[in-house]
Formats: sequence, structure tokens, C-alpha cells
Amino acid sequence: MKMQRLLLGIFAASLVPAAAAAADTIKIGYPMPLSGPASVYGVPVVKGAEMAVSEINASGGVLGRKLELLTRDSKASADEAVRLARELIIKDNVDFLVGTLTSAEAPAVSTIAKENKIVFIAPTSKTVQLTSPANLHPYIFRLASNTDIDGRTGAAIIAGWKDVKRVATIAPDYAYGRDAVTAFVDYIKKARPDIEIVDQQWPKLGQSDFTPFINAQMAKKPDAVFCDVYGGDFVTFAKQAGPLGYFKAINNRMADSGEVGATDEALALGNDYPYGIWSDAYDPVIWPENEPAAHKAFIERLKAYTKEKYASGWAIMGYASIFALTEGIKKAGSTNSDKVAKALLGLSFDTPIGKLTFNEKTHETDMGEFWGQMVKDDRYPFAVMKNPKYLSQGPYTN
Amino acid sequence: MFEVSFLFGQFLGGLTTAMFLFLIASGLSLVFGVMRVLNFAHGSFFMIGAYLAWQAVQWLAPALHSFWLAALAAALGVALLGGLIERLLLRHIYGREELYQLLLTYALVLILGDAAKIIWGTQQLSVSRPPMLAGGFQVLGATLPTYNLFIMLTGVAIAVAGWFVLTRSPAGRMVRAAALDREMLGALGANVGALYTGMFVASSFLAGLSGALVTPIQSIVPGMDVEVIVEAFIVVVIGGLGSFWGTFWGSVIYGQVLSFGILILPGFSLFSVFALMAVILIVRPWGLFGRPLR
Repeated sequence: MKMQRLLLGIFAASLVPAAAAAADTIKIGYPMPLSGPASVYGVPVVKGAEMAVSEINASGGVLGRKLELLTRDSKASADEAVRLARELIIKDNVDFLVGTLTSAEAPAVSTIAKENKIVFIAPTSKTVQLTSPANLHPYIFRLASNTDIDGRTGAAIIAGWKDVKRVATIAPDYAYGRDAVTAFVDYIKKARPDIEIVDQQWPKLGQSDFTPFINAQMAKKPDAVFCDVYGGDFVTFAKQAGPLGYFKAINNRMADSGEVGATDEALALGNDYPYGIWSDAYDPVIWPENEPAAHKAFIERLKAYTKEKYASGWAIMGYASIFALTEGIKKAGSTNSDKVAKALLGLSFDTPIGKLTFNEKTHETDMGEFWGQMVKDDRYPFAVMKNPKYLSQGPYTN
Repeated sequence: MFEVSFLFGQFLGGLTTAMFLFLIASGLSLVFGVMRVLNFAHGSFFMIGAYLAWQAVQWLAPALHSFWLAALAAALGVALLGGLIERLLLRHIYGREELYQLLLTYALVLILGDAAKIIWGTQQLSVSRPPMLAGGFQVLGATLPTYNLFIMLTGVAIAVAGWFVLTRSPAGRMVRAAALDREMLGALGANVGALYTGMFVASSFLAGLSGALVTPIQSIVPGMDVEVIVEAFIVVVIGGLGSFWGTFWGSVIYGQVLSFGILILPGFSLFSVFALMAVILIVRPWGLFGRPLR
């Protein structure tokens, strides 16, 4: 009898921690492209998020509970992201959704978040449509600056080049490129009425041969170019444009707002990088002078965590997305989505690149863009951003 | 309205596009023409060729001519892979319905895509131009990068070599016979199995070579396999399925339509090419140089 009770006691005791742990984790569904061309960025974003989760859990979690990240491959497809979001909510009982990379996935997942009244934070989707008044709802939040800011900050860079009169644009032919170019053209026409838009090229996303577009653009003899080609496409574009004398013809007067100022593209291009152009980045990663201490420490931890020689400029977005959510949970004192959604409005949180605040009306943070000239630096075998300058959203919002 | 030098530059650009596509599509066309296999995995062979070339360049890097050795190694590596796939997998489905071929080669696309991701990760990679082809020169006022000229010459060389082997050599006679009546050729004592393996190896070699040669002017990223197979199919359909010269002229037409199409309709770069394919499919469903299927 005694023995029986003892065994029962052990059995019961052994059950408790397991059950408690399972109920205790805060589950975060994280759909992100992990295959196909978009995985170039999806993977580093997820690694950033994983590192944030492990750091938060190591320091005791949130509200005394550990975080659990449920990562899924969205394949950069809106349909797949929606299917995964539904599955994560219904089958895995996630408390929150964070993730999606592209401007196709995020607005689609946003509708699922609205339906299920569950907080959804999009780290990198840039289309203005995501948080436009018609699509805004209490549960959607966005970290990255939108296409308006991309286009307008690029316009501010080019507007500063006083002798430039003839400007051309080249951008991928879908929502992201089209929206950014529209914002660019509107802004530069106001800032510099003397500037003429002489040519606009629209290669498709994943274009393998840019030569015809490059030739056609050079024939219009622009003095400067606003470019929104990014990622692997930018690598291809730069490799084909260089030998055609494109960058020489415009005196390297290009502003690319497609985040090609980070290590990702610089590393891939090596000495084929068109030194002298200007670009932006979420995080310049390599910061030759005046690097903030918090950023330096973050990059060191990231390199140790991913075991990579050079970190990616996109990891910051995954990392910050988890901290945005957990600060919201802390402020709400609960994992109830209604409470967390309210707590996120106007919330400020720290990131390795400075403090960010969610706007109460737009549900977007005030994140700006780092801009700088891409130069050769003898300490690195690739281009780095010279004196990264943080252009805050302030002057560029509506 | 346009300067001559510019139009010529646009023509050269279109020709570069064309010869690249021909390098890729020639193998696809060859395998379909003789073996009647639509190889969806051809784009994956192309991608593996690119990754292998990158890998070989990393290993050989400081050595002179490392790019050329890497390109050759990549092409041979992919040829070996193609040979294994033909012997172990494709061989079993020749007599079956085409649906089985599509399923098998599509499965290979997924498997090879994931394998590449596991081995080389998801970062974009690229290879520098070989130093001897790094520059460019002026032709009639247009700039022609030396590497692009090299690609054009390679494309023409492969077209001529392919034509010579197919029409002027004993092996070519066998290949043409196999395309017409495989069983009769077998009954006459020819080793059709070995012939098919040889064809598939040659096609894979071309895919691997084009993958390696593309690395100096394109980024190597996951998904480049699917991107390229669509373009290669368009070229093969325009030229006529299974026609070697059809594929050549299909590539040339594709390149020029893309090049000059964006001058007429700048906002619709893809439209012109797909419109061309649609028109050809309506007027001549068997393509410009193909023969109607019996």
C-alpha cells in the first residue's frame, strides 16, 4: 500500500513538470521562406529570431514562461503562408504569429490574423498596402519602413547631387518595385523640379539577363539612377552592367534602396561590386567607424550563434521582431492577443540599432534606413558602407 | 529616333541572351528529340553545374586558369550525375506513359533543389570573370564585354559541333535512327541502351557546362533551376520540340524579341516573349522548325 502510494506519487510528480512546461511555453508561429530564391533572406531572418528566443529563454523567459518558436517554410507564396498560418493557429495553438518575408505573403497572412484575432508582426514586408487604412486592423504590426520611405530616402540622396538633371529608374516589376519607384518619382519632382525622369526599366523579379535593360537605359544618357533591384538580382545586374560601362557612364551616381548595402550582396560580389554607389541597409553589419557598442556586441553574438565569418544584414529584423513581441507581452502582463495588441500601440523597445516605437495610428515602427556610399576598404575583401547614416522616417512620412 | 550604335548594342545584348539560352536548351532539345523524354530536371543539372563550378573555384582559387578547370570539372561532374540518373532511374520508364516521365523528372527537381540547399546553403554566391576575359571592346560604338563574345562563340561552336555529329558521323546516324524507330534499331543489333545513356550524359554535360559558364555574369541562388527551365522550354517550343537547329533559331528569336520588345513596350518586358510563343503555338503548334507529330 505504502509502496503503491509512493509509486503513484512519483508518477504524479513526474507528470507535473512535463505538463507545466507544455502549457507554459508561449508559442510563436513563424512562417518564412526557407526554400527558393527568397530563402537567401528568410534563413538569416529566422536565425536572428532563433537567437532572440534563446537569449530571452536563457534569462528566464517572459512572464516566467519560455518562448517556443514554430518555424515553417512559406516558400514565399501567399497561398502557402496562409495555409501555414491557419495550421499554426488551429493545430499548433500558437499564441502569436510573427514572420513572412515578402509583400505577397504578409497582407495575406494579415487577413488570417484579423479573422482569428491574433497578433501578427511582419518584420520585413514593405508594401504600403499592408497597413493602408483599408487593410489596417487591431492585430497587424510592421517593423520595416515601407516602400514610401524607401523611395523618398533614395530621392533625398539623389536630390543632394546638385549637378544631376537626368534621372532614370530601374526596379523589379511587382508591387515592391512599382510602389518604391512611384514614391521616388513623386518626392524628387517636388524636391528638385529641375530634374527630368528620362527612362524607366522594369525587369522581372529573378531576371537572368539584364543586358537589354542596361543598354536601353544607357541610350537615354541619365546622369544618375534610382535602383530598387535587390538580392541575387542585384548581383546579376551589377555583374552584367559593369563590363558594359554602365556605372562609369553615370559616374557611379546610383542610389539603390533595395538593401544592397549589407554584407549579403557585398560578399557575393566581391570586387565586382560597383564601388562608389550609394545604398541602404537594415543593418550595415560592418561599421568601420563609430560603431555603437550595442551593435558591435550583437554582431559578435550573431556570428558566434550562426558560426558564420560575416553576419547577414537581415538577421536584425528577425531578432527585433521577437523583442517587439515580448516587450508587448511584458507591458500587457498577459499573452491575450487583445491585450498585447493594445500594449503594442505606442510601445518603445530597444534593438541593437537603437530604440523603435510603434506608431499608434499606422501600427508601423519609426524605423528608418541606413544609407551610405559603398567603398573599398582594405580590411575586408568586399565593399563596405562608409559612415552609415541613419535617415529617420521623420521628414519622409506623410 | 535611336542611334545606330545603340540599336547595334541592343542586338548584341539579344545575341548574348540567345546564345546562353541555346547552351542550356540544346541539351533539353537533344534528349527530347531522340529519347522523347521531357527532362524537367535539366534546369536542376544547370544549377548543380553552377554550384559545382563555384565550389571548384574555391578549391583552386589562386591557380592560373582556375575558372576553366572549374568549368570543365563542373560539366564532367554533372555528366556523371546524369549518367547515374539515366542508368538507375530513367531507364525504367522509357516504355511508360509520358506522365511517369514528368513525375520522375519533377521529383528530381525537388530532390536536387533540396540537396543543393543542404550542401551550399541559401546565400547567393558568385564567381569572378576569368581575368583574360574581364574587359570589353567597342564595336560600331557599342560596348561588347569580352566574356559575352566568348559566350556567343561558344554557342555557335556547340551548334556547329552538334550539327556535325548528328548529320556527318556514324554515331549521329545511330542517334537519328533511334529517334525514328528505336525498336527497329535494336532489332538490327545496335546497343540502344548505351546510345541512350550516351545521349543523356551529353545533354547533362551541356547543362553542367552552361551552369558553370553562367556564374561570372549571374548570381547563384536557390531557385535558378526553375527560372531557367521555363525560359529553355519557351525556346524549345518556339523552335520546335526536338529540332536542334530549331532550338538555335528559337534562342536567337527569343533574345532579339526580348531585346527590342522592351523598347516598344518598356513596361511589359515579359509580354513580348510570351506573346510570341502564343502566336507560334496557334499558327504552327509544332514550332518553327519542328515536324507535326504523327
